Amino acid sequence: MGRDRGSALGLAVFAVVYLLADRRYPLDTLSTPGPGLFPLLAGLALLALAGWQFAIPDRRPDHAPAAVREPSSARAPLAMAGVLVIYAALLPVVGFMPGSFALVVVSARLMGLRRWWAAATLALGVVLASRVVFVTWLGVPLP
Amino acid sequence: MSDLFVALTPANLFACFLGAVLGTIVGVLPGLGPAGAMALVLPLTIKLGPTAGLIMLAGIYYGAMYGGSTTSILVNVPGEAASVVTTIDGYRMARRGRAGAALAIAAIASFVAGTFSVVALQVAAPLVARAALAFGPAEYFAFALLGVVLLANLTGGSRAKSFAMVVVGVMLSTVGMDPLGGSVRFTLGVGGAEAGFSFIAVTAGLFGVAEVLTTMAEPGSVVAAARVKFRELYPNREELRRAVPAMLRGTVLGFFVGLVPGPAATLASFVSYGVERKVSKYRHELGTGAIEGVAGPEAANNAAAGGGMIPLLSLGLPFTPSTAVLLSGMLLMSVTPGPFLLRDHPQVFWGVIGSFYVGNIMLLLLNLPLVGLFARVATIPPRYLMPGVLVLCVVAAYSDNNNLFDVWVLMAAGIAGYLMRALGWNPAPLVLGLVLGPLLERSLLQALTIGRGDVRELWASAAAAVMLAAAVVVFAFPIARVAGRRRPRGA
Repeated sequence: MGRDRGSALGLAVFAVVYLLADRRYPLDTLSTPGPGLFPLLAGLALLALAGWQFAIPDRRPDHAPAAVREPSSARAPLAMAGVLVIYAALLPVVGFMPGSFALVVVSARLMGLRRWWAAATLALGVVLASRVVFVTWLGVPLP
Repeated sequence: MSDLFVALTPANLFACFLGAVLGTIVGVLPGLGPAGAMALVLPLTIKLGPTAGLIMLAGIYYGAMYGGSTTSILVNVPGEAASVVTTIDGYRMARRGRAGAALAIAAIASFVAGTFSVVALQVAAPLVARAALAFGPAEYFAFALLGVVLLANLTGGSRAKSFAMVVVGVMLSTVGMDPLGGSVRFTLGVGGAEAGFSFIAVTAGLFGVAEVLTTMAEPGSVVAAARVKFRELYPNREELRRAVPAMLRGTVLGFFVGLVPGPAATLASFVSYGVERKVSKYRHELGTGAIEGVAGPEAANNAAAGGGMIPLLSLGLPFTPSTAVLLSGMLLMSVTPGPFLLRDHPQVFWGVIGSFYVGNIMLLLLNLPLVGLFARVATIPPRYLMPGVLVLCVVAAYSDNNNLFDVWVLMAAGIAGYLMRALGWNPAPLVLGLVLGPLLERSLLQALTIGRGDVRELWASAAAAVMLAAAVVVFAFPIARVAGRRRPRGA
């Protein structure tokens, strides 16, 4: 199964799960449509489109960035994705400043900044600048 | 009309300048793009108030069109998709020692086209808005549906994929409160989800966080920019003479392409290049460093940016990710774009249009002497820039509703956006589906209620019937063509 067919199958599963969840909302009648009607139409449309994509996969040259397809080069983004999930989970516990400091250090290192002190200096600059601009000047409350 | 001068107050001039500079930098930097950058600065613009805030957002939008050409010409790296065509002849001109002339023509073409599109916008937007007062739910539904169908046909990749992405966006828009009855849907009991998916969090994730992840996957080398001296910034008489017709053709063409849903600026630059290859007296030189290959596409992409503002300001319908962010910004500032914008917020309407004039002059003055500086921005290694982009994304997502749920949405959208790019799915139609979803649902349900359940209400008026028929033709024609090609001969 090609990548297009695989992603079409993924979309079909998403559409089915969405349609099952939509069963909780009433459809009512066409003259007084309920909150379940529009999602039902959208879910069925996605199911049909996933079927179309599965039956006739895209035969044009792949537009995906070549580097993304290399398993070795996908390691850094996958590691970063994990870091982002941990960051979102820890944000309410550690707060914006320490959490973002760690996020910048780790992401800069993953992007190839070799020296720890350079990554730490960059992180300090970014975190302090965002604190001054958004919290002090603009009054944006941050966690 | 006197409200046009609102753009000249010091606060609005500053907002315009800031937006133009930020937009130029975003245009110069490959990757992020104007929609992502606009989403990132939304918290800042909200603090500026509606007029100054929207002027700044609009400045980023058209500033990016100007900036994109700089790196295309100097380093053969287009800052954004609309400048890809400019690399063909612009970079070859630079290699022949005519970088200054190419940059000056690109800036002048952008200025001429930008100014033309603002004049046309100023004339057309109120007329369209007045006509749209007669629109009911059925017409809005038909127009939004036509937009979605046209968009899926024009994004350049597979139509099935584009349609699927629009529908996924529409489905995501159903999470939270339903637009008519107020029932809460698909929240799975997660706190903070009742307000639905934050448009800013989704956009910043799909364009900002996904860009960081993609950059990590392709650690490219730092590009070297050619040095351009100020005295070299003058095109010679021959170059000017040849550029003017291409510039004018690109301007008119770009404006009309801008009215069509889809990646208008990119499409306009490609169409303009195609037209030059057909009609230019010097078409045999295109591809070898011809000035027409810079003047036409650069004028076209800037004119398209202005044209794309007409459906947004007059009808409240955004057809590009950038105008969708503008719409989101307007709604956050309690300004509803559409037929009543001119009546309810004349200062905002005319102030934004006035700022386009001022912004075009600012961009011309900025881009001519500072091209060398802007080109150097492109050479900053991503390892210094991208971690900052991540933090900006978090601030933008969180400050939308002061809600940690939106940070989770940001991260999920970022990872999804990265996977989409890796699998060859364009995320732009999803963003538009997310914006157009509530409008599609509201207008469909209202039309059905008005028609007492009779679906014929959807095409009862001539305008709605024509738009729906056009949508059906645009949807079915490519399928019928493919089916026709597959049928064996003689069958």
